[in-house]
Amino acid sequence: MSMHIDDDQMEIIQEFVTESRDMIEQLEPAIIELGQNSDPETMNAIFRLFHSMKGSAGFLEFTHLTRVAHAAENLLDLIRNGEIALHPEHVTLLCAACDFAKESLEMIETNFTDDSMVAAADAISEDLHQAIEQAKGVASGASQEQPEEESVPPEPAAETTQEAEPEEPAAQTRTAPVTPDSTALGTEPLFPEMEITEEMRNSFVQEGNELLQHAEQGLLAWSERPEDPESIGDIFRHIHSFKGNCGFFGYSQLEQLSHQMENVLDRVKSGSKLTVSNPTDTLLAALDQLQQTVNYIAEGKPPTVDELDHHLSELKSLLTPYIGDLLTEEGVSPEDISTAVSYKKKPVGEILVERGSATAEQVDKALKRQQEAAKQKQTEAAKAPARTSAPPARRQDIRVELGKLDSLINLIGELVIAENMLIHNPDLKGLQLENFNKAGQHMSKLVRELQEMAMNIRMIPVSGLFRRMIRLVHDISVKAGKKVDLQLIGEETEIDKTVIETITDPLVHLLRNSLDHGLEGPEERVAAGKHEKGTIRLSARHEEGEVWVTIEDDGRGLNRDKILEKAISKGLIEGDGSDLTDKQINNLIFAPGFSTAAQITDISGRGVGMDVVKRNLEKIKGKIDVSSTLGKGTIINLRIPLTLAIIDGMIVRVGSTTCILPTLSILEAYRPEPDQITITPDGKELARVRENFFPIVRLHDILGKQPDSRKLSDGILVVLEYQDSRFCLFIDEILGQQQTVIKGLSDFIGNVPGVSGCTILGDGGVCLILDVGTLVESAEDKTQPAQAVEKKQEEHK
Amino acid sequence: MIDDTTATIENEDTQKDKYLTFHLAGEDYGIEIRYVIEIIGIQKITDVPDMPSFIRGVINLRGKVIPVMDVRARFGLDARDYDDRTCIIVVNVDTTEVGLVVDEVSEVADIPESQVEPAPRTNKDIDGSYIQGMGKIGKQVKILLDVHRLLFSGQEMQALADSLEDM
Repeated sequence: MSMHIDDDQMEIIQEFVTESRDMIEQLEPAIIELGQNSDPETMNAIFRLFHSMKGSAGFLEFTHLTRVAHAAENLLDLIRNGEIALHPEHVTLLCAACDFAKESLEMIETNFTDDSMVAAADAISEDLHQAIEQAKGVASGASQEQPEEESVPPEPAAETTQEAEPEEPAAQTRTAPVTPDSTALGTEPLFPEMEITEEMRNSFVQEGNELLQHAEQGLLAWSERPEDPESIGDIFRHIHSFKGNCGFFGYSQLEQLSHQMENVLDRVKSGSKLTVSNPTDTLLAALDQLQQTVNYIAEGKPPTVDELDHHLSELKSLLTPYIGDLLTEEGVSPEDISTAVSYKKKPVGEILVERGSATAEQVDKALKRQQEAAKQKQTEAAKAPARTSAPPARRQDIRVELGKLDSLINLIGELVIAENMLIHNPDLKGLQLENFNKAGQHMSKLVRELQEMAMNIRMIPVSGLFRRMIRLVHDISVKAGKKVDLQLIGEETEIDKTVIETITDPLVHLLRNSLDHGLEGPEERVAAGKHEKGTIRLSARHEEGEVWVTIEDDGRGLNRDKILEKAISKGLIEGDGSDLTDKQINNLIFAPGFSTAAQITDISGRGVGMDVVKRNLEKIKGKIDVSSTLGKGTIINLRIPLTLAIIDGMIVRVGSTTCILPTLSILEAYRPEPDQITITPDGKELARVRENFFPIVRLHDILGKQPDSRKLSDGILVVLEYQDSRFCLFIDEILGQQQTVIKGLSDFIGNVPGVSGCTILGDGGVCLILDVGTLVESAEDKTQPAQAVEKKQEEHK
Repeated sequence: MIDDTTATIENEDTQKDKYLTFHLAGEDYGIEIRYVIEIIGIQKITDVPDMPSFIRGVINLRGKVIPVMDVRARFGLDARDYDDRTCIIVVNVDTTEVGLVVDEVSEVADIPESQVEPAPRTNKDIDGSYIQGMGKIGKQVKILLDVHRLLFSGQEMQALADSLEDM
C-alpha cells in the first residue's frame, strides 16, 4: 500500500468523495422509503450506490469502506432476489452503513489516506459485519429456507476475488487476468430485471466519453514518458471503470475489448515486458474502437464493436505468455507453481528466517528501521499536501443544462438594463435625492457582482481544449514523420464556453499548419542547426482584458517572398507588393484559397483552414496577430474578448443620433485644431496625431445623418484601433460611458455594415453599437487598394 | 403536455376566421389574428443605417429589440406624419417578431371563409402579391394581407435574406 499520496491521486480521491457523498445524500431518503414500499427501481439505485462505492473505494485502496459497501451490497442483493424478506432492521442497517460511509468519506477527505481511519473504521466495520451476519441468520431463519443460506457464500467469494484484483493489480498470480472474466459473467445474471432507461444510457455515454478521453490522454502521456508508473495506473483505472460500466449495462463486446486492454495495461503496470516495445498505437486503435461503439450507443445503434476479433488478437499478441502457463504446458503441476508464486510473495525476511540465513532478531531490527523510514516519509508526505492545500478543498459540482444558464445570463443582462433605466431615469433629472442615490449605488454594486458571477459560471478552463490537441499533434507528427514536443502553458486559464467551442476549429487548423508547413523534418532541422525535435508551444493567458491564446513553433517561419509570389499569382494583391509591410503580408495567409504548400497533403494545404480561422475569430470579435522570423519560427496570437455579452462602451452623438463605441477599441479622443488636418490632392482627409497621420471617417456619412457641423474643428475625433490599423472617427460629441449589454439586431434585419449590435439605454431607447472592424474597412477602402481587391475577391466567392 | 396541445387546438379554433383590421390611407386592411402578439402606440424608433426605406429602424419592446416596418412605405404610399392614432402592430411569423406601423387600428372582425373573395389582379397602387383575399362584412370590404409575404417577399427583403446567408 502506498503511503505517499501525490496531487493527482488527491484529486481522484476528492472526486470520489464528492461523488459518493452526493450519491449517499440522494439515496438516503430512498433507503428509508424502502421500508414502506419495495420499488425495484429504488432497490436497484441503492444497490448501484453501494456497488460503485465499493468499486471506487477498491481502486483507491480504502479497504474498510470497500468491505462495508460490499457487505451492504450482499444484503441488498439477497433482498432484491427475494431470498430474504425485507425487515425494518435492514433499513436501519443500511442507514448505518450509509452513516459509516459518510464518516469514512469525511476522514478520507481530511487525511487523504485510509491509514488514520484504521482504528475508528475497524470498529465500525466490525460492528457492521457482525450485524449483517446476524441479519442473514435472522433472515434465513425467518424465511425458514435453509438451502438459501448455501447460495450466499459463493456469491461473496466470487466478489472478493474481484476485489483482490484492483487491490493488487500488480500481483503476478495466474488468477488475476482470469477474474475479471468471471466477474463479467457474474455481473450479468446479477441484474436480471434491470431495465436500461434512456437516461441511464445517456449517462453511460457521457461517462464513457470522459473515461475514454482521459485514458487517451494518459496513453499519450505515457508514450512520451514510459518510465512513469503513475500514468499507466491512471489509464488502467479509466479503462477498468469503463469496463465495469459496460458490464453493468451488458455491453459484452465493449467489455471484452476493454478487458483485453486492461490485461495489456496490467502487464505493463506490473513491469513485465510486452512483445512490442511501444504498444501505444495498438492501444489507441482499440481505444478509438471503444469510442466508436460508445458513439453507436449514443446514436441508439446496437453496441457492436467493429472488427472485435481483430482488435482482440492484436492486443493479445502484445502479451507475452505467463511463465506459469508455459510451465503448465511443459508438464509442471499448477499447484507447484502457485506455491512457488505464493512463496515469492512472502516477505524476504520470513524466507531468510526459514532458510536460517538470518536470525529473527536481525529481521525484526531491519523491519523496525524500515517502518521508521516509512513513517518519516509519511509525515513528510502529510506535510506536503498540507502546504499546497491547507484546508482540503470541498468542491461540489452539479451538472446544469446550458440552456438554463443562458437564460439566467440573459435575465441578468435584462437586470443590468433595468438598473440603468432606474438609476438614470429621466424623471429624476435635477432632483437632489441623497438616499435614493445611496440605495442606487448599493444596487449597482450588487448587480455588477451578480453579473460577474454569472459570467464566471460560463467560464471553463482551456485545459480540456488543449488536451484534445495532444492527440492531434501526436497523430499528425506520426503521419508527417516529424518529431514534436508539444508544450501546454496556462491550461487553467478560463474562457467562456461558447468561445472555447468557437476556437476549437481554428486551433486545429493552426496546429495542423504549424506541424505540416511550419516545422521541418528531422534532417532539415539538424541541417539548420536546430534540435531534431521541433517545439510547439500552446499557451493561454489573460492580457489587456482579453484572453490570448498563442501558438508558437520553432519551424521555418513564414517566407515573405513565397507568400508574395503566391498572392500575386492568385491576384490577391496588385503590383509587386514591395510596398506592403511584413504584417500585411503575414495577414495574406488568411485570405481564402491561399496556400503556399507545394503539394496538398491529407493534413493541410488546400488553403481553406486559415480562412476558417479568421471567420471563426471574427464571430467572437477576436483578433489574430501573426509574427514570424524566417528560419526561427512563427507566433500566432489569438486575442479573444473576455465576455461576449457585455462590453464597456462610450456613448457618442452625431446630430440627433447616439451610438456606442466599444471602449476597448478607443485609443484617445480630441478636438482637432485646423492645422492638424491635411487634405490630400484626391480629397482624402488625414488627421495628424503627434507623429502619425490617420485617415478620417465621418460617422454622419456612414449613418446618413445630419451632423451639428461638418467642420472637423467643431467636432471631436476619436482615434480607434482595430487589428493594428488606426483611424479617426469624426463625431459631434461624447456623451458618457456605460456598461452595455449587447443585443443582436433582429434576424429580420440581418447584418448591418458598421453596426455590430445594439443595446438599450437608460431612457429605454435602442442604441446602436458600432463595429470598429467594418468601420476600419471603410477607412482602408480609401487608403489601401490592396485590401479593397482582397475584399472584392471575398465578395466574389 | 396533453393540456398544452388541447389548449393550442382550442386557440386555433377560436382564432379561426378572426382578423385584426386596421386603417391605412383610407382603406381597411386585415391580418390574421394568430400572427398578432400585441398592439402598441408609436414610440421612439432608432434608425438603422443601410436598410430598405420601409424598415424604419428598431424599437425596444420590454427589453427585446424588434425591427419596425412602415406598411405605407412598404406599399409605396405617400408618407404621413405619425400621430397619436398611429399604432405598431407586433406580429410573430416563424419566430421572427416585427412591428408594423399602421395609421389606425380598428377592431377584430369575424370574416368566415365563405365571405372571402380571391384577390383581384388589377390593383395599381398595391402590389397584389401581398393580398390573401378580399373579406366582406356586409357592405364593407377589408383587404386581407398575407403577413408572410408582407414580411419576406420582394426584392429588398430577398437582398437582406441573401446577406444573411452570406454570413
